[in-house]
Amino acid sequence: MDVLHNLAFGFEHALTLQNLMYCALGCTVGTLIGLLPGLGPLSTISLLLPLTYSIPTGGALIMLAGIYYGAQYGDSVSAITMKIPHASSIVACIDGYQMTLKGKTGLALFTAGVSSFIGGTVAIVVLSTMAPALGEVGFLFGPADYCALMLLGFFCVSFVSSGSLLNGLAMAMVGVLLGMVGTDVNSGTARYTMNLPFLMDGIGLISIALGCFGIAEVVKNLDNKNVLTPFNGKIKLMPTWPEFKRIIPSALRGSVIGSVLGILPGGGPTIAQFAAYAADKKLSKYKHEIGTGCIEGVAGQAAADEAAARTSFIPLMAIGIPENAVMALMMAAFVVKGIQPGPNMIGTHPDLFWGLVASMWIGNCFLLILNVPLVRYWLSVFKIPYTVLFPAILFFCCVGTYSINNSLDDIYTTAVFGFIGYLFLRLDMEAAPLLLGFILGPMLEENFRRAMLLSRGSFTVFVNRPISATLLGVIGVLALWQTTVFILKLIKSPDHHIHTDGHGDAASKAPAPATAAASSGALASGE
Amino acid sequence: MNMNNRNFVRGLCLMAIALVFGGVSFNYTLGELSRSGPGLFPLLVSSFLFVIGVLTVVRSHFVDPVPLNYSLKNISIILASLVGFSLLSQFVNMILGIIFLVFCSTLAGTSYSLVRNVKISLGLIAVAFAFKHLLGLSLPLY
Repeated sequence: MDVLHNLAFGFEHALTLQNLMYCALGCTVGTLIGLLPGLGPLSTISLLLPLTYSIPTGGALIMLAGIYYGAQYGDSVSAITMKIPHASSIVACIDGYQMTLKGKTGLALFTAGVSSFIGGTVAIVVLSTMAPALGEVGFLFGPADYCALMLLGFFCVSFVSSGSLLNGLAMAMVGVLLGMVGTDVNSGTARYTMNLPFLMDGIGLISIALGCFGIAEVVKNLDNKNVLTPFNGKIKLMPTWPEFKRIIPSALRGSVIGSVLGILPGGGPTIAQFAAYAADKKLSKYKHEIGTGCIEGVAGQAAADEAAARTSFIPLMAIGIPENAVMALMMAAFVVKGIQPGPNMIGTHPDLFWGLVASMWIGNCFLLILNVPLVRYWLSVFKIPYTVLFPAILFFCCVGTYSINNSLDDIYTTAVFGFIGYLFLRLDMEAAPLLLGFILGPMLEENFRRAMLLSRGSFTVFVNRPISATLLGVIGVLALWQTTVFILKLIKSPDHHIHTDGHGDAASKAPAPATAAASSGALASGE
Repeated sequence: MNMNNRNFVRGLCLMAIALVFGGVSFNYTLGELSRSGPGLFPLLVSSFLFVIGVLTVVRSHFVDPVPLNYSLKNISIILASLVGFSLLSQFVNMILGIIFLVFCSTLAGTSYSLVRNVKISLGLIAVAFAFKHLLGLSLPLY
C-alpha cells in the first residue's frame, strides 16, 4: 500500500495545471522534433534542453521526460510511415513499414500507440516498486563498486550502440578523456585547458551533444542528398476487435522484457526492442507472419521500447549512475537544476521523484489521446523541404548553446565539436558512448581515486568486494566472448580474412544494428 | 597500410588522441596509486585507449577494408555559417547573424533560392523574438 500512497502523492504534484501543461508541451514538441529525419531522442533532448532552464525544477523535469518519450513516439511514426530508422526505432522499420506497404498504416500507428501505453504502464509499476528498493542497494555501493558498475556500463553501451565492443569502448574512453578537461577537483590543477579561461570549467555538455548529434547529423544528411518522399497515404486509425485482441499478448510480453532490460547497465530501448522482437518470433501465436507486416511485430517492440525507456530511469535515480547516453543527458539536466540523482534523491526530493513517476503515466495518456489521433497532422512536417529545415536546426543549435551561459563563445566550441562529430561519423565511430563517457568520466576518476586511497594503492579491492567482483566478472565474460567470436570467424573463413557483410556502413544505419540484433537476441536467450 | 581504409584510419586516430592526452598528462603530478595526482588517471585512460587503437589497427588487417568517404564542402559551409553567426551577433546584432546563417548555410543545400531564404530568415527572426519575450532568453537581437 506504500506504493499506492506514494503514487497518490506523486499525482498530487504532477496534476497541477502548470505541470500538466509542461507535460503536454514536452510530449508534443518532442514528437514533432522526433519525427524529423536524423533527430532521435538524443538530439531532440539536447536541442530542447535549454528551453527548460527558465522553468521551475519540477516542471522542467516533467517536460524533459515528456520530450523523451514524445521523441520516441515520433521516431516510431517516421519509422512506420517512411522507414527512417533512429536508434530507438530500428525494429519498427521492419514490420511497421511492411504494414504501411500493405496499406495498414493507421493500424500500425494505433498498435504502436496502444502498445507504448501498455509498456509504459507496466514499467511505471516496476519503477515505483523497484526504485526505492534499489535505492537501498545503492547505499551498499562503495567507490570500487561504482567504478566497476561504470565500466560495465561502458562495455554494455559500446556493445549495444555500435555492435562492436572495440569501437564503442574507444569512444567511451575518448569521452572520459574529454571529461578530464578543466580544473581537477582534488588538486585544483587546470588540465588540458590550453590556457583558455573558458575551458577552466570543462567543456560544456551541450556543446558536445549539439555538435555531435545536431550539426554532424545535419551535414551527414546534406552529404547524402537524399530526398524524402512525404507520406501521402490514408490513415484509418480504429482497429477491429480481433485486431485489437492480437495487440495485447505481444504488448504485455514486450512490456516485461523491456522493463527488465531497461534496468540492466547499458540497457535501454535499443536492446529491449530487439529482444522483444526476437521473443515474439519464438513465442507468438502468429510467429510465421512476423516480418511480413503483422501486428505482433509492431506491438511487442513498441511496448518494450517504451517500457525500457521508463525503467532506465531506475539506475539513474536509485544509484545515481546513468546507464546510457539519454540518461546521461537527463542526469545533466537534473544537475543543472541542483539535484544530484542517487540513493538520496528519493528521500530528499520525494515530490520530484514521485511527481516524475506520476507524470510519466500522464505523459502516456497524452501520447494516446493527443498524438495517436493527431498523427496525420504531425506527418505534414515532412512536407517542409530539408533546405528549409536545416537552417532552422542550426539556429536552434546556436540558441541552445548560447542560452546556457549567455555566451557567444560557446558557439565556437559547438562548431569545433560539430567538426569532430563529423569526423567521427565518417570514421564510423558512434557518438553515444562518447557522451556517456564524458558524463561518467569525472565520477569514474573520483571513485577510482577514492577506492585506491582506501585500499592504499592495491587493486585487490576490486576483486575482494562481492559487488565489484561480480560486475568485473561480467565484463570479463563479455570481452572473452567477443574475442572468441572474432577468432572463430577468422579460423572458419577460408582465406583467414573476415568479409564485412555490409556491417557498419555510416551512410545507412540499418545494417550495423542488424549485428546488434543478432547479439542482443543471443543475450536475451542467454538469460 | 591503406590511408583510405576506414578501420585503419580509425585506429590511427585513436592512437593519436591517446598520445596527445597521455603525453600532456606527464606535465601534471602523477603521484602514486594510493595518493594519485591529477595526471595519473588521464595517463591510465590514455594508455588503455592506445591499446584499443593498436587492436583496431591489428583488426583492420583481418577485415575487408571499408572505403573512407567524406566531403569537406558541406561541413566547411556549415561551420563558416556558425562562426559568422556568432561573430555578427557579437559585434553587430543577432538579427543580422540569423540572416547570415540562413544565406550562408543554404549554400550547402541542393537548391538555392533568395525568396525562400528571405522567408526562412523572417520566420527564424520571429521565433527568436518569441524566445526572447515569451521564454525569457536574453538574446542580443538588436
